[in-house]
Amino acid sequence: MGEAALRIENLRKTYPGGLLALGGVSLTVEAGRFFGLLGPNGAGKTTLINSVVGLARPDGGRVEVFGRDAFRQFREARRMIGVSAQEINLDKFLTVEETLLYHAGYFGVPKKKARDRAEELLERFALAGKRKDRVNTLSGGMKRRVMFARALMHNPRLLFLDEPTAGVDLELRYSLWEYIRELNRGGLTILLTTHYLEEAEELCEEIALISGGRIADQGTTEELKRKYGASDLEEVYLKVVHDAR
Amino acid sequence: MLADRPFRTLLKREILRFMRVWMQTVVPTLGTSVLYLVVFGLALGTRIREVSGVPYLEYILPGIALMNLVTGAHMNSSWSVFDAKRERYIDEVLISPMSDLQITLAYTLGGTLRGMLMGLGVLLVGVPFVGLHIEHPLLLVLIGALSAFIFSALGTAAGALATRIDHISLLTNVVIQPLAFLGGVFYSVDMLPQALKVATMLNPIFHTVDAARYAILGISDLNPYPTVGIVFLLAILALGAAWLAISRGPNLRY
Repeated sequence: MGEAALRIENLRKTYPGGLLALGGVSLTVEAGRFFGLLGPNGAGKTTLINSVVGLARPDGGRVEVFGRDAFRQFREARRMIGVSAQEINLDKFLTVEETLLYHAGYFGVPKKKARDRAEELLERFALAGKRKDRVNTLSGGMKRRVMFARALMHNPRLLFLDEPTAGVDLELRYSLWEYIRELNRGGLTILLTTHYLEEAEELCEEIALISGGRIADQGTTEELKRKYGASDLEEVYLKVVHDAR
Repeated sequence: MLADRPFRTLLKREILRFMRVWMQTVVPTLGTSVLYLVVFGLALGTRIREVSGVPYLEYILPGIALMNLVTGAHMNSSWSVFDAKRERYIDEVLISPMSDLQITLAYTLGGTLRGMLMGLGVLLVGVPFVGLHIEHPLLLVLIGALSAFIFSALGTAAGALATRIDHISLLTNVVIQPLAFLGGVFYSVDMLPQALKVATMLNPIFHTVDAARYAILGISDLNPYPTVGIVFLLAILALGAAWLAISRGPNLRY
């Protein structure tokens, strides 16, 4: 077994009011993997990601990012993680280019390196013509591209994509797929959450199904299909999620 | 900690924010100050003439500057944090390698700078009316910086704790404005009845206004040096409150 990009042990989180979001989740994502986290709404996918990056405060458990404790060594751990969140959350006071450069600054990337990286990503995401535009004037698809470029600005080793293609047109979806595949081939570990099962089937080498705050099953797409006698991931999903309920 | 690039970047962003919306942040405040100077200074000033041996307009200028400094400082950080939280772009900062204390300090120092800029602006606006003479410039910078820091830190705390817009306006309208107006900007505390005199002594803005007046004009109701000590202590307490609010406030790290 190779190095673990993400190792989660017995992660627990109950929200005030009693809602159980994570009921002792353990999960290991090997370095270089394209990993899918699937589950119905409210299953705990976003809480899991948020717990790793410090947006949620888990009640207990351990999280390591490439061997660094995500809580006690949070600076080192967070520098290695990029997040493209489910909801658009761009700073409305900044232009497209500033969004990328300020993000790099927040993550401690030196100026020259940040400028070069910003150029590269502006080109890659066809945003160069919009670099001086304030982000709140962009279309939805463009905002999504900026979110994506921003997550990559500090050259993370582990990328969280939380529903990255929600509300994105087909053309952009395919070009994003192509790009994240390319990134993964270049060694970037990716953890993707999605509602589109064909997206997971298309992209992910390994999948964990989460339901009611617990990992219901985990394996490669082929393994899961075999185990559940299913012809595609959708069938697996329905069986696992239904059984877990 | 303060030389850290992530911290410096967030502070720079805070400065960029208020410079970018200067029509909302800088111009109205200075415009209002001119109105104060005209109405209270020129119109009423012809009746009041002198307070503590100083022409009325000169007497009120330090207080107006400090009042603007205080409101500018706390409005800046409270709105900046609240907006970032409401539109969730604060997440980018919360998941960065910055500590909560660094985040708190960056927002607070951004507001401090805005407040000081407002205070300086009012003093400059006052130059055509009263000229420019400052008795103790260093004391003025110190008292201005500490006052701006206190109210900016309170603004950071308010922005972090607020869950609705009216929570922010509540702080401005119910706490800051009355304290500022009753902070001895327009009168000497000696002119008040005993009960109000005691109440005024409990108002932190009164102490800072009084110290600023001493720094500029060399006259004051109280000895300004103990005030510096008190204000320093208040700055530390306010920072503590802001830090706690950023780490534990609702809808931040849940």
